[in-house]
Amino acid sequence: MKLSRRGLLRGTFQGSAAVMAIPFLDCFLDNHGRALAATGQPIPTRFNTFFFGCGLTTQLWVPKKTGLDYEMTNQLKPLEAFRKKLNVFSGMRAIVDDSPNIQHWSGLACSNTGIPPTKVGRFDSKTIDLTIADVISRGARFKSVAAACTGDPKESYSSLGGANTLPAEPSPMALYTRLFGPGFQDPNKTDWKPDPQTMLQQSVLSVVADERKSLMKKLGPTDRTRMDQYFTSLRESELQIAAELRRPDIVAKVTIPPAPGEVPVNYSLPTLRNVTPLMARLGALAMATDQTRVFNLSVGQPVSTIFVPGDPFGYHITTHMEAIDPVLGYQPRTAQYNVYSMEFFAMMLKELDAIPEGDGTLLDHSLVFAFTDVSFAKIHSLDGLPLMLAGSASGRLKTGYHIAGNGSPVTRVGLTAQRAMGLSVAEWGSGSMKTTAAFTELLT
Amino acid sequence: MGRKGILVITALLIFAATDGGAAWASGSDHVVGLRRLSEREYRNSIADIFGKDIVVQGMFEPQVRMDGLLATSAAVLSVTPVGFDSFSKMADRIAIQITGDKFRGKLVPCTPKSTKGADDSCAATFFSHYGLLLFRRPLTADELKAQVALAHNMAQSTGDFYSGLRYGLAALLQSPNFVFRYEVAVPLGNKTYTLDPYSRATRLSYLMWDTTPDPELLRAADHGELNTTEGLDKQVSRLMASPRLDTGMRAFFTDMLELDNFDQVSKDSLIYPLWSVAIASSAREETLHSTIDLALHENGDMRDLMTTHKTFINRSLAVIYGVPFSFDSDWVPYETSPDSGRSGILTQVSMLSMFSHPGQSSPTRRGVALMDIFLCEPTPTPPNNVDFSQVNDPHGLKTKRERLMAHATNPLCASCHNHSDPIGLSLEGFDSIGERRLSENGQPIDLSATLQGKTFKDGTGLGQYLHDNPKYPSCLAHKLYAYAKGMDTQDVPTSAFSAAYKSFVGSGYRMRALIKGLVESPDFFNAPAPVAEASADHSKLALH
Repeated sequence: MKLSRRGLLRGTFQGSAAVMAIPFLDCFLDNHGRALAATGQPIPTRFNTFFFGCGLTTQLWVPKKTGLDYEMTNQLKPLEAFRKKLNVFSGMRAIVDDSPNIQHWSGLACSNTGIPPTKVGRFDSKTIDLTIADVISRGARFKSVAAACTGDPKESYSSLGGANTLPAEPSPMALYTRLFGPGFQDPNKTDWKPDPQTMLQQSVLSVVADERKSLMKKLGPTDRTRMDQYFTSLRESELQIAAELRRPDIVAKVTIPPAPGEVPVNYSLPTLRNVTPLMARLGALAMATDQTRVFNLSVGQPVSTIFVPGDPFGYHITTHMEAIDPVLGYQPRTAQYNVYSMEFFAMMLKELDAIPEGDGTLLDHSLVFAFTDVSFAKIHSLDGLPLMLAGSASGRLKTGYHIAGNGSPVTRVGLTAQRAMGLSVAEWGSGSMKTTAAFTELLT
Repeated sequence: MGRKGILVITALLIFAATDGGAAWASGSDHVVGLRRLSEREYRNSIADIFGKDIVVQGMFEPQVRMDGLLATSAAVLSVTPVGFDSFSKMADRIAIQITGDKFRGKLVPCTPKSTKGADDSCAATFFSHYGLLLFRRPLTADELKAQVALAHNMAQSTGDFYSGLRYGLAALLQSPNFVFRYEVAVPLGNKTYTLDPYSRATRLSYLMWDTTPDPELLRAADHGELNTTEGLDKQVSRLMASPRLDTGMRAFFTDMLELDNFDQVSKDSLIYPLWSVAIASSAREETLHSTIDLALHENGDMRDLMTTHKTFINRSLAVIYGVPFSFDSDWVPYETSPDSGRSGILTQVSMLSMFSHPGQSSPTRRGVALMDIFLCEPTPTPPNNVDFSQVNDPHGLKTKRERLMAHATNPLCASCHNHSDPIGLSLEGFDSIGERRLSENGQPIDLSATLQGKTFKDGTGLGQYLHDNPKYPSCLAHKLYAYAKGMDTQDVPTSAFSAAYKSFVGSGYRMRALIKGLVESPDFFNAPAPVAEASADHSKLALH
């Protein structure tokens, strides 16, 4: 077994941090080759989120049976090809306690922070993707990357806390440029050498970083927190440059395609069907080449304005305006929009599963956390939020199950995801959502 | 700016570095406001400091609307890793252009002893000149030293003086001192605080011109002139007299009227094949053009914004307005006819289309938005478990009014819908893209509405209602105040606001009187007392 300098550095960082990352230590210990790429380098485990607005229709998506042999339901059908690599969680509750149920916001914030938000558009703590990125992203070029299939950079649910969210890349071209434009080090390039320009950039950043001390002492506590975020961001750029100066050591079996060019990006269904796979593919390639280990994809905002051409209302308004069909017992047009959400999710999984890695695929070395803002959108219900985890996180999570949460807090899924990603967190969430009960039956 | 101009400022600088910079360096001051530059502010600043030929290319982090204004969020948001990466790359791209062959002759104010190595004296001249303009205050001695040292090392390691300047300038451009506007308070005595002269210059300039303070304003700051009534008035009059006031007020009205929404407006091309990106950008421009014309060029009564027949149109808008386009220039003044149903800003395509669904108009969305924008009255969100299907019409036979009236049967719904729907219902004569219509689903549309005890009809009636409602000019003034200070509209203190509002009313609601009254009111530059020292531990907790 070869110990890389990078691996050792990681170990040191993690040793001094509050949370320990186990997967990398596993990589050192693993002699079976399972987690190793062709070059003998460990394959990192990646974390993804997939956000879709307006929930699903309970009676159309929740299987009656639990466990492995649950029956395929109408709304899960688009995911059938990935059923063996997927866990679906029904009956999970976002419990807001004394905080308000902020429409189309509380549910998503509870799911990805474990804490009921106090204001719309703000997170009361760091979101799960960045919590995980703190542990798994060292060495990757970008700590995390977000993309919005509808073209609005604000449709990102990744945040260090507060009103700031990490802006999402708003088009395939923007995402491509960020990932594979200037600064990209192609791991397949044979004559690789560090770019001297990049080294000079380090000196620039260090001069800017030196301003920190004199600035901080002039600030009040709130602005100090904001300035801290600025300097944390600067630190991330330093790490990014450091990554760009190292020979990339993950040799992926992928080739980077030429730039996608400008394509239409908007809220209409046909456009989204074109853009979503493009975005997902670029994200998958970014992870395969270790540009990032955390990728967040969103299809629309919680108040989803996705629309089928010819429908004057669009998704969100339909969820509220459409009557429940007395015979069917649900809202048929809303239900169709729900299915589109699952089709988009399937598009993302397909791209992840299309990239071979080690003895499996990129999806097998990933965990994808799919979440939404409501269960029954019509009444903004937070009971029974549909949550899913796809991929086995390099074998750390058993897959193929339908788990019935029976009203237990949504935080159990987030906690399970963090454990599967190797974080040694004992509990997660606040108030009634504070939990220590990960779904241990799924963890290997 | 030519080299001669640069030398003049540099001379001023050498004086300033020993004097005006003292406040920042001494530590007796406190930062009471920290506002992230908006994309426009950033672009305008770069263009004014380095010239319009410098290309600024990159992503800017979005702002978030808070309490009606994006400007408010500038005082709350920070810089994320994605945003920093973009600032950093933009900084370098800008610095490359300025120090490159094409522009260095014009923009670098001195000639190095040799282009192949360091020249600390020339570098110092360069950084003190641009440091003042970028940081909106003179660099401290330590800051200048650090810049010169960076340029020195870079020049030596690359064997190129201009590379040294490039990296040093890139550092200035991504410094928090540039990407944030610092508002620095100094004690005034008797436990009160006021903004220091450079922060005053900065606040004035970004409010009135949407850009960084120009050399004359910095000079006035340096000489303490902005702290005297006479000196302040002289500078304010100068800023007001410039056509650049248009730029500043365009920025304000873009924010207040929520015109940024246009970036995300999608229309269903099956239902509205007429709609295009060109119409969207034209509609936005129409609103800005006509608003600025009334407010600044005509020095009109701002209440007339609600009723005026005067506007400007281009070829794209002529299609929607049903006007034969036979003009030979791009934009032409246009007067809507009384029978067109259009008068005032509320009946422009921008307002009508922004607050609609992709395939249908929405009286509720229009009502909620316009109450918030023009009357500063946000509508509460509906209850979580409300069943909207009772107001839906599965067979599509009713008008929206009939559907919305169903809300009246539920007192919980009625309390809010009675608040916002009347505005929206009176605008139902216009569809989702702002085209006129007289019937919906084959039935004539009833455009009458009753709001807060007043009954009116259609867009014209609504305009007159708002024109006569004193809450509208008051809301406009509150928003300008909040915009200038980067605060919540609802937190604008009545006492501080009253002097400015009085001059606004006294002038017959002229925008210029409002601006001048605001920036010259005695407490416009008053600052809150600095918050007591937070422990270092606290700030760490907040981060991690």
